[in-house]
Formats: sequence, structure tokens, C-alpha cells
Amino acid sequence: MEYTVGRFLRLIVAILFLLVIGWLLFTLSNIIRIIIISFLIAYILDPLASYFEARGLSRNNATIIIFLTFFIVLAAVGAVVFPTLFNELSMMQNSISPEGTTVFISSIEEYIKANFNFINVESLNLSERINNFLSGITDQLLSILANVVSIISILVIIPFVVFFLLKDGRRMKKVFISYIPNRYFEMALNVIHKIDLQLGGYLRGQFTEAFIVGTLAVIALWILNVQYFIVIGVFAGLANMIPYVGPVAGAVPAIIVSLVNGGDATRILYIVIAFAIVQLIDNVVLQPLVLSKSVNLHPLIIVFAVLIGGQFFGILGMLLAVPAAGIIKVTSSELYNGIRKFNII
Amino acid sequence: MREDTMWGNIFRKAEKEDSNIYAVLSKVPIFSDLNKKELRAIERILHRRKYKENEILLKEGDPGVGMYIIEKGRVNIKLGKEEKLLAVLSDGEFFGEIALLSEIPRTATAIATIDTQILGFFQSDLFGLTETNPRMGNKILYRLAQMIAERLRFSNIENQQLKLKLSDLENKLKSRKVS
Repeated sequence: MEYTVGRFLRLIVAILFLLVIGWLLFTLSNIIRIIIISFLIAYILDPLASYFEARGLSRNNATIIIFLTFFIVLAAVGAVVFPTLFNELSMMQNSISPEGTTVFISSIEEYIKANFNFINVESLNLSERINNFLSGITDQLLSILANVVSIISILVIIPFVVFFLLKDGRRMKKVFISYIPNRYFEMALNVIHKIDLQLGGYLRGQFTEAFIVGTLAVIALWILNVQYFIVIGVFAGLANMIPYVGPVAGAVPAIIVSLVNGGDATRILYIVIAFAIVQLIDNVVLQPLVLSKSVNLHPLIIVFAVLIGGQFFGILGMLLAVPAAGIIKVTSSELYNGIRKFNII
Repeated sequence: MREDTMWGNIFRKAEKEDSNIYAVLSKVPIFSDLNKKELRAIERILHRRKYKENEILLKEGDPGVGMYIIEKGRVNIKLGKEEKLLAVLSDGEFFGEIALLSEIPRTATAIATIDTQILGFFQSDLFGLTETNPRMGNKILYRLAQMIAERLRFSNIENQQLKLKLSDLENKLKSRKVS
């Protein structure tokens, strides 16, 4: 009898413990987000630091060089891109006013009147609905940049955390491993190594691919003289991480913007061709080069991950959902393999 | 500063402990080509673990992930269910070095017979080293290859001698049957 009571008490303590952890995670979600982003950046930059180390630099100097280069590039690019990016976002919001889209929408209304006269166009109230929808999107985009990830955390806290993770990450890992009990030590070491091998390639591949696709999209849209080419290109790069839906989701904003600004059919055809070429380059050249095939996530899992990420952390959560799903998959499967191989349970 | 001040003692102790590690490491054949600076780099990536008397360090059949160097203590290497004693290893000796190259299952069980302090050098650390410091990684890999080549040579000689003995025995058996 006492045995059962003891077990019951232990169960209650475990549930309370989980609840406290859940509450802490929820309350500290902003800080956790910063830690996750910093960890990802440090993890992606790690091979670069190791490369400099292999060239004879100390880890400290390698980290300092990466940071200096990063800030110089960021300052140079930021001086050009960020004002344009903010400008484009606020212009997008302003120009999607009734005046900006009237021409396009009234032409659609005319078309409907001429061909489907059984539909009462006035009752559809197309113009207002589309305007509300579009300004809603840009409002959200602006608020993400301005509020959710505050400028301070982007400019100060994240680089600060990344710096120390990059410089002392290996030592931190060693200290963490030293706390693992002897019985689980070899298994833990093996599992961490396996996760590192698989995830390293996967995450770096994902971000390199997103970066190159984004850059190609920006260049293509700039050549085609599409307005807000930087915003749309960056979005296309990030959306590219989501299979099947991503590439289409990247092209749609470009087409909408072009339509709103009175673009004709040939222009839209050019945009579609441009995105098709970018996709072709991605599929034929980039994917075989950068993507590690070890993390095969089913498209359904990715879609659910993106939805869950969006539910909890907004658009930022949606963008980080794919790598996060990859991390969870690799960690759980390697942990399971490790536990089985080492006969722990 | 006087010799017996608190700080003096702390530093002296730290130095003594460090020099002990270097003395242990320099005796391990795979590190024998490394200079003091390189040994210090090795020391940074080694995992120091403490095992109590009768605690198992590694179990026969578990996947091998790296080698262990005994810094202080004594370890019994045992084989099979009957726990046949293969070797007793102590300070400065090492085991499990094949696991640096391949994740084949451990061929024996290692148990600490007294409180033991060991240094673990693992496959992942060796791979990391070959990336961050290829020169040093090569020196270690070369020594490891040499050690294994030497062992292979011994096994070959042993194999040949056994084959000879076997054919002798076969010949004797045949001649007995004939007679």
C-alpha cells in the first residue's frame, strides 16, 4: 500500500515539476527565443571559426575576426538595404490605399460585370476587402520588425550571446558533459556527436540555400523592376525552406504587387519565368550541393510544424519551424537509437 | 611572495596536477609525436571522469566511442559472462583505442578495481581535431595507424605460427591414420 502511495506522490511531484517548467518556458518565452536564435546563429557560424582555427588562429581571435567582418558587412549592407527595406514596407502599406489599387480592382470589377453579369459586383465589395487584407499583411510585417523582436535584442543581446557561444561553446559543451553520470556518459557523447553530424549539415544547408535563393530572387525582381523587390526577395528566400508551398508562396507576393501596380500579363509571365529559373537553379545546383539528405522531414510534418510555430511565435515562429522540426526529429531519433544501442532501457 | 602563502599553494597544486597530466599523456604512444603546446591542446579536449571501486567503465558489446587513459587508479579488463581476466591496467596505461577509428562493439568489459580517475579521448574529438588542427590530427592518426600496423604484424606472425602448428598436427593425424 505504501509503495503505491509513494508512487502516487512521485507522480504528483513529477506533474508539478513539468507544470513549473511549462510555466517558466511560457513566461520566459522571449528570452528563450533570443537564446534559440543566438544558438542557431552560433551553430551556423561554428565551422567558420573552426576554419580560422585550422589556419592557426586562436578560438578567441577567430571569433573576433568573424564578428568584425560580420559587423563591417552588416554596416555596409545595412546602410543600403535596411533603409530601403523599411521604406519599402511603409511604402507598401501606404500605397495599398484605395487610390493605389482602384485601377486594378475596378478593372476586375468591369471584367466580372461584362462576363458574369449574374453576380452583383457592388455587393462583393471587392476593393475594400482586398485593401483591408493587404494593409493587414503589411501592418503585421511592420509590427514584427518593430516590436516582436525588439531592435535592442537584435542589435545588442543576440550578438552578445552569439559571441560567447561561438568563443566558449566547446568549453560549455565539455562542462555540460562532465555533469552527465558515468552510466550515461558514453551514450550521451555518442548521441551528441551524431546529432551534431546530422544537424550541422542540415541547418547550414537550409540557411545557405535560403540565403542564395533570396539573393537570386532579389536580383531577378530588381532586373524585372518589380517594386519592393528586397522585401519580396527576402520573403521568397525564407519561404523556400517550406517544401512545395514555399516556392509558390515566394512568387505570389511579387505577382500581387505587380498586379496592384497595373502590371500586364507579359510582366506576370516574366515574374513566373524568373521564379521558375530560380527554382531550377535551386533544384539542380543548390540542393545537391548544400542540402544534407539525412534529415528527411515529411512535407505534412513541415506543414504542421509551420502552423504550430505560427500559433506560438507568429511569423518568426513559422520561419524557425522547419529547422526546429529538424532538430527535434534528429535529437529524438538519435536519443532513441543511443538508448537502445547502449541497452539503457 | 612567500612560498607558503595561500596563493602560492594554489598555483603550486595546479601546476603539479597539470604536469601530472602531461607526464601521463606523453607516455601514450598516439600522443608521442606531440610537443608541449599540442599536449596542452589535447588536455583541453579530454574528458576527465572519476569512477568508484567496482564501477563499470565500459561494457562488452556497447558501441565503442573512444579510448580511455588511466590517470590514477586500476582497471580490470574482463571477457565474457565468465568474466575471464584479460589484463590489469594502471596509471598511464590505456585501452579502447580501436574505437577511435571505428564504432565496432567493445570486445571486453572494463571495471575500476579501486577509485580511479581516467581521461577519455573520443572519436568525435579526434575528428574535430583533424578539422581545426589538421597537422596535430595527422600526427595522432599516423601514430594510431602505426600502432595498429604493428599489432597486425604481430597477429600475422602469430597466425602463421598457428597455421604451421595446425598443418603439423594435420600431418601427424594423417600419418597415424595411414599406419
